[in-house]
Amino acid sequence: MSDTTSPNLDRRSLLKLGLGASLMLGTAGLTATLSGCSSSGPAGSMAVLRESDLPLLAALFPAAVGPHPAFSENSNAIQLAIAQLDRSLHYSSPFVQSEVLNLLGMLSMPLTRGPLTGIWGDLATASPDQLEAFLLRWRDSRFELLRKGHKSLLQLLHMAWYATPQSWAAVGYPGPPII
Amino acid sequence: MPVPDLFLQGIERGWQVIDASALAQETTLEADVVIIGTGAGGGTSAEILANAGLRVLLVEEGSLKTSSDFKNDEAKAYAELYQEGAARATADAGIGILQGRTVGGTTTVNWTSSFRTPDQTLAHWAEAHDVKGLDSASMAPWFARMEERLGIAPWAVPPNANNDVIRLGCEKLGYHWKVIPRNVRGCWNLGYCGTGCPTNAKQSMLVTTLPAALEKGAVLVHSARAERLVFEGDRVSEVECRAMDATLSQPSGQRLRLRGHHIVLSGGGINNPALLLRSKAPDPHQRVGKRTFLHPVNLTLAQYDRDIHGYYGAPQSIYSDHFQWDQGTTGPVGYKLEVPPMQPSMTSTLMGGFGLQHLHHMASLPQSNILLALLRDGFHEQSQGGSVALRDNGDPLLDYPVTDYLWDGVRRAFLSMGEIQFAAGARAVMPSHAHGRLSTSWADYQEQVAGLSYRLHDVRLASAHVMGGCAMGEDPTRAVVNSQGRHHQLENLSIIDGSLFPTSIGANPQLSVYGLAARLASQLASDLG
Ligand SMILES: Cc1cc2nc3c(=O)[nH]c(=O)nc-3n(C[C@H](O)[C@H](O)[C@H](O)COP(=O)(O)OP(=O)(O)OC[C@H]3O[C@@H](n4cnc5c(N)ncnc54)[C@H](O)[C@@H]3O)c2cc1C
Ligand code: SF4
Repeated sequence: MSDTTSPNLDRRSLLKLGLGASLMLGTAGLTATLSGCSSSGPAGSMAVLRESDLPLLAALFPAAVGPHPAFSENSNAIQLAIAQLDRSLHYSSPFVQSEVLNLLGMLSMPLTRGPLTGIWGDLATASPDQLEAFLLRWRDSRFELLRKGHKSLLQLLHMAWYATPQSWAAVGYPGPPII
Repeated sequence: MPVPDLFLQGIERGWQVIDASALAQETTLEADVVIIGTGAGGGTSAEILANAGLRVLLVEEGSLKTSSDFKNDEAKAYAELYQEGAARATADAGIGILQGRTVGGTTTVNWTSSFRTPDQTLAHWAEAHDVKGLDSASMAPWFARMEERLGIAPWAVPPNANNDVIRLGCEKLGYHWKVIPRNVRGCWNLGYCGTGCPTNAKQSMLVTTLPAALEKGAVLVHSARAERLVFEGDRVSEVECRAMDATLSQPSGQRLRLRGHHIVLSGGGINNPALLLRSKAPDPHQRVGKRTFLHPVNLTLAQYDRDIHGYYGAPQSIYSDHFQWDQGTTGPVGYKLEVPPMQPSMTSTLMGGFGLQHLHHMASLPQSNILLALLRDGFHEQSQGGSVALRDNGDPLLDYPVTDYLWDGVRRAFLSMGEIQFAAGARAVMPSHAHGRLSTSWADYQEQVAGLSYRLHDVRLASAHVMGGCAMGEDPTRAVVNSQGRHHQLENLSIIDGSLFPTSIGANPQLSVYGLAARLASQLASDLG
């Protein structure tokens, strides 16, 4: 399993950060807010997502979805998917909103991002290989919380992407019937 | 041809429907009976109580969406019509939970499969949970009555190819399969029941019992959550409600007080216990929220050389009970096999993998089929279900441990489903699992299933059937209400919905709720009359 071979994400290095994995995930959003790495309020055009989440999501959508033709056909494709995700989150519960913001906050805050993802620079500018390695590391983690993060992140991104009509033609979905 | 919107026409004719989010001031309303929740239990009760001449007042935390709002749009529907915008999950996020939050409750978004409560389940309730008078023979007329009321009949149109996989595979293997009865009248066979029926063909509460109750003068308040019951001695004196915000995520609007001689709780599993816990209702034996069941679902994906187009056509029309009772009622967990509809947004979460691998799977969507197994939880001592607690803001939280007993069922169901898919001609089958891969032979698939990890988040688990948490039974140390749905400690409180079930059903639960609600509400009407 990749965790145990990884120099950065064994139990000891998590403890060295002074926090257990669960605490880490639970407080990352708060810490990110306090340390000024994420703005606290929603971004201008968004209801839930913050300014600091947007470049992150722009990098994560292609990593989750793969080389879908809509990314190149439509320069606005990622923005549409992010807007869709924001709308869905807006209708969810305060708890779900804070969980998702914590997850994204953890990915943008250097203190947590480096050791947990293995990506030491800005995640928004990470290479596709780095992002793939990060998603695999979380998928195969022996920490339940990282596996949960892997699943939740992919579900959010996949659901939002395949809710937008731009994604349908390439996968052969003719779209819903019109009554 | 535009479909007439029955509900909006009714409002024009003078139905009393109040949008709480538009109220300008605090409001108090009174009636003979206050019903909290407008789903399967609440809707059925409302019609019966209103027909008995009682003044009925309903409150629903979801908003009013009707056929003209339903555009077969997944994202819009999940956001507007489902609890927590379809993002509800168990406390550790191990199981995703779909539940309705709209006028008509979960019946507005359900997939129309309609089964009577299995005889084995009713017998088990009598034997193991001290439920009295609900044996198969005395329930039969109540099921028959609701089947007639809601147009329930076996689906007479050929199944879509997604469902036909079950027929083909089971036929070949000599396994049980059967046509599913559906609650529809004049169904267009579209397949978008999960996003709200745009043609009013689905006989949900939204187009049947609620209109009938409103026609009789019932009052419906929507977009307001019952936050707290107020007690005076052993009676509920008042229901404190608050209007929801525009996205239905928080009750932050006007306050309402609802008063009634009798209160019926029909908010469904998870939400009923939460209301009782917020209200600090008497619960001397700590039963509220315990034994909440989910029919946890695991799934397998198969690809074929032929078109399946599982996003079109009646979502569920064929099932198999081959593995449901074969090991007895209380043995290793049994399961019912069905398919889900395959619209792309929801289906994308089941395809496994990410990046190029996920895209490849998605690109085969039109030739793919998914089977699901509903695990029959709650019949064995290693399956006690989950328990409901409250978050800091009063929202519910369901802790549901997935035990080895259930994992064993997950593994066996992976095998049963894969076997059926290969028998139906699949060229490749994949378990819905973080490490799932497409196996191109039955032998390789069996090996794959044997080697998988059975732990949270690796296996994709979901639930669309929340049941229990306010168990019925004659023994107050084990149940919240008696077999008539009357609260053991509170004199004028009934619970009538799926939260009553002392175990899961072992079949899709809506007709169990309708039949039971019809019976309990009729009894209540005569008690109050
Ligand atoms: C996607 C999906 C597909 C399904 N398909 C099928 C199927 O094909 N066949 C089948 O048999 N079953 C199906 N089900 C399940 C079935 O619809 C439910 O089990 C059934 O509707 C439960 O009835 P209920 O009365 O217990 O609760 P619900 O129908 O869920 O109604 C409860 C209502 O109460 C409201 N409420 C809750 N708390 C409060 C409060 N405090 N204040 C105000 N309002 C409140 C809720 O918003 C909700 O509208 C499906 C479920 C889902 C999610
Ligand atoms: S399949 Fe039938 S019941 Fe379901 S949405 Fe379409 S018309 Fe309505």
